[in-house]
Amino acid sequence: MKSLVGRPVRMVTAAVALSLLAVGCGNGGDSGKTADGKTIVKVAVWDYAKTPEFKALIEGFEAKNPDIDVQPVDILAADYSKKVTTMLAGGDNTDVLTMKNVTDYARYGTRGQLQSLTADADKLDKAKYSGLDSFDLKGDYYALPYRQDFWVLFYNKDLVKKSDADLSKLTWPDYASLAKELTTGSGSSKVYGTYHQTWRSVVQATAAAQTGGDLLSGDYGFFKKQYETAVDLQKAGAAMPFSTAKSQQVTYDAMFTTRKTAMVPMGTWLAARLLQAKAEGKNDVNWGMAPLPQTTANGKAVTFGSPTAFAVNKKARNSAAAKKFVLWASGPEGAAAIAKVGVVPSYTDDAVLKTFFGVKGMPADALSKKAMTPDTVKLEMPVSPKSSDIDQILTEEHELVMSGEKSIDKGISEMESRVKSEVE
Amino acid sequence: MTKIDGAAALKRRRRRTALVGWSFILPNLVGFAALTLVPVGATLLLAFTDWNSYDTPHWIGFDNFQRMWDNDNFWTALSNTAWYAAGHIPLTMAASLGLAVLLNQKLRGVAFFRTAFFFPYITSLVAVAVVWNMLFSPDAGPVNQLLRAVGVAHPPGWTTDTDWALPAVVITSVWRDMGYYMVLYLAGLQAIPAELYEAARVDGAGPWKRFWHVTVPSLRPTTFFVLVMLTVSSFKVFDLVQVMTEGGPGRSTLVLSQLIFREGITQGRFGYSSAISLVLFLIVLIITVTQFRFQRRSER
Amino acid sequence: MKTTVLREDSTTARLPRQPAPAAPAGPRPHRRGPAGPGRIVGRALLYMALTGLAAAVLVPFAWMLVSSLKADSEVFTVPIQWIPKSFRWENFSDIWDQIPLWTYLGNSLFLSVVITALQVLTGSFAAYGFAKVRFPGRDAVFLAYIATIAVPWQAYMVPQYILMQKLGLVNTHLSLILLQAFGAFGVFLMRQYYLTIPDEISEAARLDGLTEYGIWARIVLPLSKPALAGLALLTFVNTWNDYMGPFIYLTDNDLWTVQLGLRSFVGMYSSQYAMIMTGSVLSVLPILVVFLLGQRYFVQGISTSGMK
Repeated sequence: MKSLVGRPVRMVTAAVALSLLAVGCGNGGDSGKTADGKTIVKVAVWDYAKTPEFKALIEGFEAKNPDIDVQPVDILAADYSKKVTTMLAGGDNTDVLTMKNVTDYARYGTRGQLQSLTADADKLDKAKYSGLDSFDLKGDYYALPYRQDFWVLFYNKDLVKKSDADLSKLTWPDYASLAKELTTGSGSSKVYGTYHQTWRSVVQATAAAQTGGDLLSGDYGFFKKQYETAVDLQKAGAAMPFSTAKSQQVTYDAMFTTRKTAMVPMGTWLAARLLQAKAEGKNDVNWGMAPLPQTTANGKAVTFGSPTAFAVNKKARNSAAAKKFVLWASGPEGAAAIAKVGVVPSYTDDAVLKTFFGVKGMPADALSKKAMTPDTVKLEMPVSPKSSDIDQILTEEHELVMSGEKSIDKGISEMESRVKSEVE
Repeated sequence: MTKIDGAAALKRRRRRTALVGWSFILPNLVGFAALTLVPVGATLLLAFTDWNSYDTPHWIGFDNFQRMWDNDNFWTALSNTAWYAAGHIPLTMAASLGLAVLLNQKLRGVAFFRTAFFFPYITSLVAVAVVWNMLFSPDAGPVNQLLRAVGVAHPPGWTTDTDWALPAVVITSVWRDMGYYMVLYLAGLQAIPAELYEAARVDGAGPWKRFWHVTVPSLRPTTFFVLVMLTVSSFKVFDLVQVMTEGGPGRSTLVLSQLIFREGITQGRFGYSSAISLVLFLIVLIITVTQFRFQRRSER
Repeated sequence: MKTTVLREDSTTARLPRQPAPAAPAGPRPHRRGPAGPGRIVGRALLYMALTGLAAAVLVPFAWMLVSSLKADSEVFTVPIQWIPKSFRWENFSDIWDQIPLWTYLGNSLFLSVVITALQVLTGSFAAYGFAKVRFPGRDAVFLAYIATIAVPWQAYMVPQYILMQKLGLVNTHLSLILLQAFGAFGVFLMRQYYLTIPDEISEAARLDGLTEYGIWARIVLPLSKPALAGLALLTFVNTWNDYMGPFIYLTDNDLWTVQLGLRSFVGMYSSQYAMIMTGSVLSVLPILVVFLLGQRYFVQGISTSGMK
């Protein structure tokens, strides 16, 4: 009888033993020090190989602090917050966490999952830090921004040259007629005047920043003009229809580098992306930047942006070293390091700007420089516990308005009533 | 066996049988109980708390369920999920059974065809979403061109239209899953003894009759399995909707798993998301038990 | 075949109700349907239908293949280009430099093989207990198995992660193996299959002096080859294609699976779509081999001689 049982049972045992054996030696020591005595600082980052600023910051910091070994914990960008939320729930001790957006930051901060950096923030020259206010949670700071992207108008110099428009102080109606003028061709050779990414911010955050409207208020009358411009552009065929862009998963960088559009309003991260594509020989578009078109023609450039910040985990193994890294990265030295790779730092002064425009391939004409120094940068989405609920509603209704399922007025009133009834 | 110690022997034998039974189950059960049953149980308990994944949970009774009852998103997601299931379950079942029966013959190239029909399941989801969105494209898409050719003047906008996005998702999901369930049916078909078909043939039954009177009844355990798995997977559908429509346009394809994910991971309301899971769990359980009962009754 | 269907008292031996095998009725030549032109036309129609369907089903895969030979910026164009402007065969060589694909393939293979082996072995073992042995508590445990399938993973992934973290298993392959090897799927599938195996067979074996373990190993296991093949196939594919599990549990790059490696191309600000498709094409190949091997078990079954 035993011999009958033997074979399968042995197989099970062997398989279990094999898997235990193969895996047992996976996790090494967890002391917080490297073998040669350096303090380890683990930093949660995304797409390490493809996001040059992390490498620049880590290498720059290690050069200054030879006793600290900074180790990136690479997480896929698309699902970054999922993983960080789960890790924190499990009591993970990664030292530094990158705050990808302010909404997640607000949640981690208010739950007490991050260490307070208020004392350090108070010592900073706040005038030079763009985006620092976004991390003010009722007077407390739990993260310091190192990067501040804001929106400008990217354009293809060769395509726009045909028109003699002055891009330095466009209003939205100017922009709309320019887009119509620049639209040429049809079918597969069609070149659109402009391309609007399907995100709601293209319309809504612009309207909020430039009219002073409040995205959390539940009153959205201030969206109306901006929606009229956007809907009119796609009706006139000067911008790709929303439903096409959405269902075909069109990407703004592909539209721009394949010359399918003359202009695209987009965040400054596109600059680094275009430079990288050029370096790889995948982009030969002659491009420049202009200030975002304006609602009021008073010569001031108002735009919106979203900062990215570093925070120290409450359960960090090496808090002191982690804090040191966060302060260095968000300060002047960190700013200089990331400006070198074409990324817009949060800390800005003349030296940093000079480094930024000195990057090989970065357009350094007067218009691009003007675009990079806006008068006001508002926050894309104000921080509040309600932000992400409201964001969801606004996104859903934005889709319906832009795809023509709902009229602009109906869409706006739906946003207002839903925000009032669904968000307490 | 003598009658004298019959009762004691019976008892001993029962105990031994129980021991043998448990010994079969235990290797799997230990792993399953520790790593799946415990977290699932915890989740069902958390439905009655305000847990946010970090702080200590507080017991709040039925507050989460009250909130769900009053919440429009929940009812929208529930009705979308139910519609999805109503389309996905019968269509996938019919398609996979049909394919399995066709491909269970001695046929030249049968390995190729089986593999081909399994391909949708292993093709990357990104590719699936892109190609189907292209096929469904309102103006230039082949689907609508075909519809226009056969005289439909105003073909639907599919994934860009709130009324047609869900049917588009259902069609894609049937296409994707039929190969998967075909494999299960193919395995089930192998268990049918050839004598049954011979006997039916002797009775003069044609292919159609043999299908209904031999294949279908013999496949019942497999069908039950497929039905339960299809029900469960329809009510839990997530990935495909996420890549195809992200729940849009508007909320027209928002399903329960997306809502659970959004409320839990994105918004940090794990208590509430657990409560939605509990409701989903109960719904699926009721349906499964009903199927189980129905199955048994049809036996008698 | 009424005895075999889902019944709780399936251990009690019953006589089969189906007509007895028609042996006494005299040997009959196997009838292969109406021979002649009608049959040939039928075959031709069947082949045409199957070929058409297969072609339709393979369209997205064709897109994947075409895209894998394009430049990144050409992947998403409106309308879709079915023939790339220039074939970038170098995508298939570049990918090996861009990511440690061998490591990823090795990890995926290791996980898939171990998980599939454990799932098939423990699953079929437990299924025998659920289908063929009667003992108190059996049905309650089985219900627990089915019930957990109904809870979406998104709902309990955080509690499960906390548990794993407490066990110190996060960021090891062992966490994924333990997580996925003992799923309810295999138990449920195999139990259903065992129910179709007539109890008379195991009764006879019992009279011959075989133990329950012996019956499982000697009789039931060989009889259920098609189901084992199906289970192994589906488990392998699901493990191979799983993304969220490895994403949540594996952090170190040298532990990553193919699916994680592929997704690492898709960044928020950088999207290498052509490479993703190149990688997807490469990652499908191992599954193809496994499928072609596994599906052979679906032809030798007893039913093929009778079904026409």
